[in-house]
Amino acid sequence: MEEALLNFSQLSGIYAFMHSPWGWPIAESIHFLGLSLLIGTVGLFDLRLLGLGQGVSYQYLHRLVPFGVSGYFLNVITGTMFLSSAPDQYLYNPAFQTKMLLMAIAGGNMLLFYSFANRPVQATAADADVTPAVKTVALVSLCCWCGVIIGGRLITYFRPPYHWCFWC
Amino acid sequence: MAFVVGINLAMALRLIGITPKLSLPGFRKFLPFHWWAVGLIGVSGLALLLAYPAKALTNPVFYLKLVALSIGLVLTWQLHKRFRRNEEPTQQLRWGVAMLACWVITIGAGRFLAYTNSVLLASRFF
Repeated sequence: MEEALLNFSQLSGIYAFMHSPWGWPIAESIHFLGLSLLIGTVGLFDLRLLGLGQGVSYQYLHRLVPFGVSGYFLNVITGTMFLSSAPDQYLYNPAFQTKMLLMAIAGGNMLLFYSFANRPVQATAADADVTPAVKTVALVSLCCWCGVIIGGRLITYFRPPYHWCFWC
Repeated sequence: MAFVVGINLAMALRLIGITPKLSLPGFRKFLPFHWWAVGLIGVSGLALLLAYPAKALTNPVFYLKLVALSIGLVLTWQLHKRFRRNEEPTQQLRWGVAMLACWVITIGAGRFLAYTNSVLLASRFF
């Protein structure tokens, strides 16, 4: 896995870029911007679903969510650049593993929202509350994204011994 | 930090014309949450500065971040005052672009801080 990622990074030119003087901080800046876009749109929508911002239209606030999705894809691209350039710093890092787990839960939670809650929420009046089930989905989403941020920050400070992972 | 930047980016997007039907003064209901987050980054930022004062204070990028962050927060404060009076700012595109610029610079400078310091410990000066 490690070797395959490194090969991909070297063949695609990512490795050379990331190991240039400004490669890593540029990718980090874009990564944080993507994250902020995600939190500023999806997180704000989650807060609205939880009852904050009474009177703000669910429908119109939801129109900002595609920007959060583009932020998410920016993060997938820059995240892949980090991972493939130094796979040994990530694959065996419990902070990274926890971050990935929380991202998977957030993804499943989002699918749940769009499969049963999105249409009724869009039709809900701006001054009305959503159902407790939808609020639970919003709370899970918000907690997961906060955990993703914390996990992401801890990656730098958590240097476990090599070959530490859940499946080793 | 992500909450502070995130809410500001969302307002900036609205100001530059995305989702024009979304009420701008409605954002005032999220802003108390934003100011709490600002307090939190103030405390954690101060702790980081006190931990390695020479590392930050000898780096020009730190001052760039501080200036961009301060202007960004003043813009948000001015908007908040207008929203409280249920007013929308005129020249919204300019407001939006200025806010976007401030937060992009703040983030970029913040990330570059870790890679551009020439001094780590204050003991170097003694």
